[in-house]
Amino acid sequence: MGWDEFLKLWCGVWGVAALVGYGRSLAGVTKAQRTVRLTGRIDRVREPRHGGSRDGGISVVVSYRDEATGQEVTVTNDGDRGEMITAAWEGREVGINHPRGRPHAYRFTNRPEEPGRGLGWPAFAVFLVYAGLVVLAAVDWAWPWALIGFAAPLAVVGVAHLPGAVRDKNARLRRLAAMDAVPGRVVAVLKDVSVDEDDGHTRTTITPVVSFTTRSGTAVTAHCTSHLADPARAYGRDVTVHHTLADPAEFTLDVEAESRSEGRELAYHVLAVVVLAATAAVGVALL
Amino acid sequence: MTCTIGHMTTAAGAPPTHNKPADLALGFLTGGVIGASLTAFISGCVVGKTLLIVLGLALPTAYGLAFVLATQPRRAREAAVVPRTALALIEDREVSGSEASDVPVRFELSVVPDDAPAFRVELRQDVNRVELADYRPRGVVVVEYPPDRPWKGRLVRRPTPQWEERAAGALLDSVPGPVLKAEEQTGCAGGLLTLLGLLLGVAAVLVPFRADLFDSREDARATSEPAVSTTSFDITSTSSTSTSTTTVTSATGTVSLGPGRSMLGQGELRRAVESLTQGADKGQALTLVVQDRLLTVVFAPTGMPTPGFDPRSLPYDRIPGLVEKARSTPGVGAPRSWQLTADGVTGGLTLRITATGDRGSTTLEADGQGNVR
Repeated sequence: MGWDEFLKLWCGVWGVAALVGYGRSLAGVTKAQRTVRLTGRIDRVREPRHGGSRDGGISVVVSYRDEATGQEVTVTNDGDRGEMITAAWEGREVGINHPRGRPHAYRFTNRPEEPGRGLGWPAFAVFLVYAGLVVLAAVDWAWPWALIGFAAPLAVVGVAHLPGAVRDKNARLRRLAAMDAVPGRVVAVLKDVSVDEDDGHTRTTITPVVSFTTRSGTAVTAHCTSHLADPARAYGRDVTVHHTLADPAEFTLDVEAESRSEGRELAYHVLAVVVLAATAAVGVALL
Repeated sequence: MTCTIGHMTTAAGAPPTHNKPADLALGFLTGGVIGASLTAFISGCVVGKTLLIVLGLALPTAYGLAFVLATQPRRAREAAVVPRTALALIEDREVSGSEASDVPVRFELSVVPDDAPAFRVELRQDVNRVELADYRPRGVVVVEYPPDRPWKGRLVRRPTPQWEERAAGALLDSVPGPVLKAEEQTGCAGGLLTLLGLLLGVAAVLVPFRADLFDSREDARATSEPAVSTTSFDITSTSSTSTSTTTVTSATGTVSLGPGRSMLGQGELRRAVESLTQGADKGQALTLVVQDRLLTVVFAPTGMPTPGFDPRSLPYDRIPGLVEKARSTPGVGAPRSWQLTADGVTGGLTLRITATGDRGSTTLEADGQGNVR
């Protein structure tokens, strides 16, 4: 068996996998389609313990109404329960997902989600087929086809998303400019130390937790991992928190730095598009 | 109406059952797959054999897929079991040393479910150092466990308010009886069996493909370092070693190709001759003899007016054709061997190609440009 046969086999196998995935989605039996998606509300926020772990996120008690039984159900984010809730306040809406018929296997999302179609894995399989075809072209025709095949579509995707990225950046800048500033305090600094079993090196993650109250009276507790100097010694420090009025989870301690960061992200996007386009052009020139 | 997930009534848990032979067999099989796939992949990359590389990738994939499919019913069955929440009394705890913020702790608990018999169980769980004080012996905690496998339960760090209140006000008694424990590790025997499987997996690839692997290694060695033995010119002494022979009157060079290669291969003969003529004192040759995998050159002595020829001037491109022509001569029969002799002693360069078959032999003679005389 040569590389040609192997690549054709690769494309065939992943092609079949993609077809099976799309077929399952059409039949409505993917995992995403069998997931019950509900909206829960945070009833209680427990203050994190200083020096504790960030695992599991902010400890919350959430209640939701089970559609099947009509009962009000109370749950907590104990153990492996999906997305980590990093900003919490009483009354905040969060997403609760669970497989159909298994409400005990519930998982959280930071925001209520729309039902999905489960097309992620089939799309990934299609990508693998495409990658196989590009490599096949590079092997059979000429190696510059690898540059063209990988860089050109990504450059096109990057260009297509550029207007959206500009819109997002401008919207974010507008929200940053309209943020409300309120006093806050670092109520805990969480510390997670892990040890590499192979070389014995330790890795420490410091997560300050800030608490603030919005002008509308919402008491927010949230992980704050950026724009806080010397976070390990930040416990008890008073800070000024800037947050959007619509969503207190969108907050920052440094509006200027966030604005600069938005500009940099757009620049990286443009740079990536330019590099990809140049790579594709080099591929064409080398043919 | 309000309810809290996790305290439904089901049958009491049975003692743990161990399926040790199956675990050992699985370990052995896993070791075999790891050994075989790694060996196949690395060997395939070394010798450039796609079949081995594909085998190295496909084998673990197929094994993983088969494992997932085979265990899917059991996992679905276990996932469908609604965990039960109960209060428990910490009888004992043993904290293991660790530099990490989460330390492994072995708990011995008396679990007192609301609507099932109480039992003792041993659980192992990582607990954050800051929270260790919450789990002292004789303290009451909330636990959650699958009713059919209580030894796979866990302590609930963040109980619902209802269970938090119950735990705060509860007074529990110790439960006598045997302690349900998690399944024991397969231990040393399991490790040895896995290692054995790994070694057998390695052997399962190396033995069937040994010819490809070791021939390829020989080929690679022959390519990078052709087996060259030279005879150097030395007026005063004669000596012999395992790799060279020194004579008084002449200097010769020999190139022997590894198995699977031929002097008729693309560029082989030219490369072999060039490997012998790199020295500045080995410019002219008296005689050059080529067989299928062997080249011998007799060099002209340095500094003496001896007739000879430059071995690099041979018509290399025409030699395979001449050999083929000699081998296909009627009367030779099925070809067995051939030999090319280039001789420059008589003045002009002469090529003689002798082909031997099962019915006889023939000799072609050509000039220095490869033209048959």
